[in-house]
Amino acid sequence: MSPVTIAPPRSTPLLWQHLQQALFISELKSKRKSSALEEMVSALVTAEVTRHPDGVLDAVRRREALGSTGLGKGIAVPHARSTLVTERAIVVARSPKGIDFESPDGLPSHLFFMIVAPPLERDPVYLNLLAEIVRSVRLAKTRQRLLDATNFAALRRILHEAAHE
Amino acid sequence: MSETTYEGLDALVQLQDVDCLIKELKDPEMASHEVKLGFSVEGISGLERTRERLASQVDGRLLQTYERMSRRFFRVIVPIAGRVCSGCRISLPTSSFNRNSDGASYDLCENCGRILYRR
Repeated sequence: MSPVTIAPPRSTPLLWQHLQQALFISELKSKRKSSALEEMVSALVTAEVTRHPDGVLDAVRRREALGSTGLGKGIAVPHARSTLVTERAIVVARSPKGIDFESPDGLPSHLFFMIVAPPLERDPVYLNLLAEIVRSVRLAKTRQRLLDATNFAALRRILHEAAHE
Repeated sequence: MSETTYEGLDALVQLQDVDCLIKELKDPEMASHEVKLGFSVEGISGLERTRERLASQVDGRLLQTYERMSRRFFRVIVPIAGRVCSGCRISLPTSSFNRNSDGASYDLCENCGRILYRR
């Protein structure tokens, strides 16, 4: 595989470019990790990113089995490449009550960014997205604003601002 | 072309996704990138066991084709998008949508040889 360079945020952040209303879940119904992943994958079906939720879920769970994608501080970024998705996509979900995502700090996760992408040999965008999400939520005030964002427009605005902070 | 269904290619599709993950984990730069971002990445041996299990579920001839093609392409099994092979972007001949050549439950792109499945 060729070396991957992580680019700094652009004027239009990558994450922001990938946001879709159909892929925003303002409040997860699930209380457990397993069903939360299912709920997020269901959004991918609704948005016509995949017609095969079981296969995509298998890919996401396989990645989780390597180590939780819970980053701590209430953030989790489940991600996987799957042959069964048509395009790169991000589900953003909130859980005000929090879900145990086996994060290293032992705290529940409240904000979820699920990234799925088809397997491509050269796809720096996928890695850049991971990096951009981590950068975007590094500030406690941004995390709190995102957690308070109950609608898609607010989410977009906050993430756009966060990319330029 | 014989009927191509997701069910018939299920194990192979999963196998390709596992292979992709294994390749990423074995690539030092890719793996270290995730770790630097704070993700935990362990247990590649479990993935290799999963690969073996999935491989045992794939028809022998199909698996052989996949293994051979994977030396040439990163992504061997690709969806048909419209009437186009999404691997090489070449339009598939109309006749290939009706042919039932040898009773196989999969088809190959006549241009690049990748294994095709319908979305």
